Amino acid sequence: MNILGISAHYHDAAAAVVVDGVPVCAVQEERLSRRKNDAAFPLSAIEWCLDRAGLEPDELDAVVFYERPMLKFERILTCALRAFPHSWRMFPKAMKNSLGEKVWVRGIISSHLGVPARKVLFTEHHQAHAAAAFLTAPTEGAAILTADGVGEWATLSIGRGERNRGGATSISLLREIRFPHSLGMLYSTFTAYLGFKVNEDEYKVMGLAGYGEPLFIDEVRRTIRRTPDGAFALNLEYFDYHTTANRSYSRRFVDLFGPPRSPYEPIDLTTDDGRRFAGIAASVQRVLEETLVDIARDLRRETGLPDLCLGGGVALNGVANARILSEAGFERVFVPPAPGDAGCAIGAALYADRIHFRNADRDVPDHPFWGPAVAGDELARIAREDGHHVADLDEATLIEQTAGDLADGRIVGWMDGALEFGPRALGHRSILAAPHDVEMRDRINREIKYREQFRPFAPVVPVEVAGRYFELPPGGARLARFMSGVFPVKPEWRSRLAAITHVDGTARVQTLERDVEPRLYALLTEYGKRTGIPVLLNTSFNLAGEPIVNRAAEGYSTFLRCGIDVLVADRTRVTKRDSLFQKRREEVA
Amino acid sequence: MERLLTPVHRWIWRNPERRVQKLLRFSETETDGGRDLLRAAELTTDPLLRRLYLLHATDEQRHGLLFRRRAAALLQAKAARDADGGSAEWIPAASHGLDDLDVGRESDETMLAFLHVAETSAARRFTVYREVLHSDPGTQSVFDDILHDEIFHMNYTLTQLARVSPERHRGRLWRARFTRLWKGYLRVASGIAGLIGGAILTVQYFVVLPAFAWLAKRAMRKEPQGWTAIAPQRSDSMRRQY
Repeated sequence: MNILGISAHYHDAAAAVVVDGVPVCAVQEERLSRRKNDAAFPLSAIEWCLDRAGLEPDELDAVVFYERPMLKFERILTCALRAFPHSWRMFPKAMKNSLGEKVWVRGIISSHLGVPARKVLFTEHHQAHAAAAFLTAPTEGAAILTADGVGEWATLSIGRGERNRGGATSISLLREIRFPHSLGMLYSTFTAYLGFKVNEDEYKVMGLAGYGEPLFIDEVRRTIRRTPDGAFALNLEYFDYHTTANRSYSRRFVDLFGPPRSPYEPIDLTTDDGRRFAGIAASVQRVLEETLVDIARDLRRETGLPDLCLGGGVALNGVANARILSEAGFERVFVPPAPGDAGCAIGAALYADRIHFRNADRDVPDHPFWGPAVAGDELARIAREDGHHVADLDEATLIEQTAGDLADGRIVGWMDGALEFGPRALGHRSILAAPHDVEMRDRINREIKYREQFRPFAPVVPVEVAGRYFELPPGGARLARFMSGVFPVKPEWRSRLAAITHVDGTARVQTLERDVEPRLYALLTEYGKRTGIPVLLNTSFNLAGEPIVNRAAEGYSTFLRCGIDVLVADRTRVTKRDSLFQKRREEVA
Repeated sequence: MERLLTPVHRWIWRNPERRVQKLLRFSETETDGGRDLLRAAELTTDPLLRRLYLLHATDEQRHGLLFRRRAAALLQAKAARDADGGSAEWIPAASHGLDDLDVGRESDETMLAFLHVAETSAARRFTVYREVLHSDPGTQSVFDDILHDEIFHMNYTLTQLARVSPERHRGRLWRARFTRLWKGYLRVASGIAGLIGGAILTVQYFVVLPAFAWLAKRAMRKEPQGWTAIAPQRSDSMRRQY
């Protein structure tokens, strides 16, 4: 049975194909169109997925969209009605936006792919999140918690899933919290207030939180209160996102927290304003963590299950995930590599396979590498044409040379195998560097990422030795598999892992198993032999505002425009000759 | 044409808020253009064009940064927190940087002709802007700096077009001019259609919706806060869109 899953129209569109119950490929549209968080109907992603799976559209048994568009339209219309007459500006925009394309999904899919309309199916948004989290996790029964900004109506849902090997699967969502009460929207509102881009820069708030003291907790708690049944409700007087598309916070919110940060001014943590912003970030982060931990603890008590599957955009918050693991009572917490909307493409397809078509349960490969593969010969050709130094090396030499480069303080662009699905670079499209000193962190921020100084970098470490450097609680190594948890760096290693240790002594660790990524594992081992510490700084291979690179040509153009010293794609190694770009880069920096 | 519009441009640039908005919009357009050029560089099979596109992309991204920094400086000077104000926002912007050119599907000839026409037009406009901005030397020097690059962009695109399409490069240029004109018309037309649609929907909002709004508000007051139980049968069918 061949099923195509699609997510689109909000942010981060994606497509995935499931064949006989197992995903065979998945890719985000942004990685092909090169427009960050591309929300457009993912035609390129669909074409690539069908091509990769060797399928024609008429061979598809179903095409599954990740939410119910009419239900979503109902929510938008209802919110406009509830906010009458304050919603008069928002109403025409919302109607034009929805009625232009978004509610006609069945027709759009049918006409683009030429499949009969009866083959087009719909999951609920949070069902797709739940399926993406539960059906890809190596567990037979788990509690499920999904949380994001909003789907159709639900913003957070809880439930449980059960798999029987070779038998039936069930996913039961038991309760939900409905829009406008939303932890995702709460966090996004503070993201906007702090001058960052909503739906894109939430992780910056998490990074900034490390620099602040949670001195505004009482104020944040005035915007969100706990309900007697263990859920929460937002105090809507402080928010505007449910009445207008232009603002997410109200005048009262500004009265409570002070003037917002201008997105055009840098955050200076030595000023009062800078400290205030960091304090507000720390406070909302703390409240988010506490709310999630409470809900997860209740869920553990209710289900009695030892495993928890987390899904939705909020599950990208590694600090909250780590606290849930440590404090909610679960033995293991699973977060898929793409817990956000992109992952819903896989979730929707798997949900249709297991629940709608009632196909027997099958294990899903436990890795994130579902995208297009990189071609080293493409890199060799274009780099030679431009006169750069190119070497095609055997595996052992490549690993040795690259480990030597890293040990000598060079920054390496590393492209290997199939592209990751999801927002994290987990070793196939990564920028790697030595993790030992702060200068390296500052250099990458300054010459490559062109980003704020307060942003931390993540380490990658072989799973067997992770406990030597990081304080991983039971289940921590699993949570760190896809970089989904933030854990303390052991105090005795912080000075020697300064480039990846955040100001609060933590790091968003990736633990690596040899089978998941053998080449990177070999590189870590070789680097460990040379330096005594088999840990590398691993950050996504992209520049600020651009999606993670996909093809070798994209890695190459990124390599030329920034301070990466060495580029590796498959077995091709490239180093730069002096170029015109150096001057331009200095000007930009 | 741009010369004839000089009084309009003078009026637009005189207001500091409109100036900031214009600069921010230019920043976005230049950055988007840089991204599209980067894409072109990654897709072309011509090594010389790849290098030139990359250089051009880096220039555009630098221009985006210059515009943004200038807008930020003006904002800081004004201590303005909110740049929202009246502007010609009803005309949809050329949202994909290079006027909705589908970089992935265009030939190098089309790309170069389009770039040449776009750069020439931008250079003309920026020359007028520089002239009307004599009361703001900071912004004027940004345009000066960018105009210097635009001349290089205009020249290389024309030279390369003549190289890759020696027989038909003039025809390509005319086609690019017509396409640009057509897209400009479409933008204005869709802007007007948007205004009319918005007006009709606003009238409907106040005429048709009040009764439904009253019902919706009444229903909202009865809605319990906290958890809502999910009925098991709610998700029975995957064929429903609602």
